[in-house]
Amino acid sequence: VNAFKLAQRNKRKDWTKLIYYSALSPRQIMQGELNASDRKKDEEKDDNDDFFTLKATDGDVDSLDTTKEKCPPNQLAKWATEETLDSIRHLFITGLSDT
Amino acid sequence: MTLHYSGHLYFRHRLVLAILSGKPIKIDKIRPGDKNPGLRDYEVGLLRLIEKVTNGTVIEISLTGTAILLKPGIISGGPVAYECPSSRSVGYFLEPIIMLAPFSKKPLALTLRGITTDDKDLSVDLIRTVTLPHLEPFGISDKLELKIKKRGSPPLGGGEVLFLCPIVKQVKTLNFVDPGKIKRIRGIAHAVRVSPQFSNRMIEAARSVLNRYIPDIYLYSDVYKGEESGKSPGYALSLVAESTTSALHCAEAVSQPGIAPEDIALHATRSLLTEVERGGCVDQKHQSLVLLMMVLGSEDVGRCRMAEPTERTVQFLRDVRDAFGTSFKIVPVDTSDQSPQLLYSCYGVGYVNTNRTLA
Repeated sequence: VNAFKLAQRNKRKDWTKLIYYSALSPRQIMQGELNASDRKKDEEKDDNDDFFTLKATDGDVDSLDTTKEKCPPNQLAKWATEETLDSIRHLFITGLSDT
Repeated sequence: MTLHYSGHLYFRHRLVLAILSGKPIKIDKIRPGDKNPGLRDYEVGLLRLIEKVTNGTVIEISLTGTAILLKPGIISGGPVAYECPSSRSVGYFLEPIIMLAPFSKKPLALTLRGITTDDKDLSVDLIRTVTLPHLEPFGISDKLELKIKKRGSPPLGGGEVLFLCPIVKQVKTLNFVDPGKIKRIRGIAHAVRVSPQFSNRMIEAARSVLNRYIPDIYLYSDVYKGEESGKSPGYALSLVAESTTSALHCAEAVSQPGIAPEDIALHATRSLLTEVERGGCVDQKHQSLVLLMMVLGSEDVGRCRMAEPTERTVQFLRDVRDAFGTSFKIVPVDTSDQSPQLLYSCYGVGYVNTNRTLA
């Protein structure tokens, strides 16, 4: 399963195709097609379920129109180690070139 | 042709695209199932502000507030003053106005009052030091200015800014493909109605991380006192990294109750490093602005190297195609290396500012 996920990640997204020729929502594109197909399975499951179904919400009701996207704290935590801090030195003029 | 969208998301850039393309826009199903359905006060506020900076715009809002129809007039500009509701900061209103102002009839001189820094929208510091310089390569720079007259922290605000924008006939084609290397870092720390020491504590903490990279770091403590410091206490740190090719990456963090200034600074610093690592010539917060100007550019191929698009950018690109019929070519910069950066290119529509008064 891990190897599969890794392969998925290494496969580059075809952005032109995803943006202009797919019906996926921006969020689905970000989460990757793998998750989108999972979701489809979930929806099918729902169809066979009980009489009452929750009204589908796109989860966007609370989302605001903001430019400043929140950095998830776990993404920032990695900067606590010297190793990660050193990993971007080549992006500064004082660092060695990456070649 | 009328542009037709549903839902409350992407409200601002959709209005901008409608006004620039001159196409009427209908947006329905605005929070229809919400306990409090329809437009929020800041969205109504933005419509009012659009009425002020344009002439002949017709706006109809349905009785329930869940649908609007806007028929664009001309962008008139000139002196305008507006009191922003306390639900959003002035950045919420400035971001779309910056996209419209260069195409006014007369240079815009917009006074906005309200909250100047919050955790949702770009702060006035970032708009001044990062957003506005992004317009320079497009030929919009002379007399382009944002003056921060008073600061205002949430919840009560009390800040005031003056935005001056020149008008252009056409925007230049962008060719920005070399991100360069980071040569300097600048920052602005401010603290209003709290101990001025908080600014220094934030600067110390940010330096403890950034000093390792380059010597050219200047973090400035911006002091506002008395009337100029607004109605509520608060503090923030905004940071900008500039590359040898003038690529700008920015980040900021705003005070939160119960969190030490050092931790706020650390948050801003780490967010900046995340932006720097993502790389490219334009950071994620400014993708839409740069892509819009590329579309409007003269009839030539514009190019820009950036990181992956955000969710907002994906929708923006789709909406741009609806309004202007232009789509971008988005390809990996280099197929051999593992860099996730992309090259965005498009053929400009050769947009001409027809509102401009002929001298």
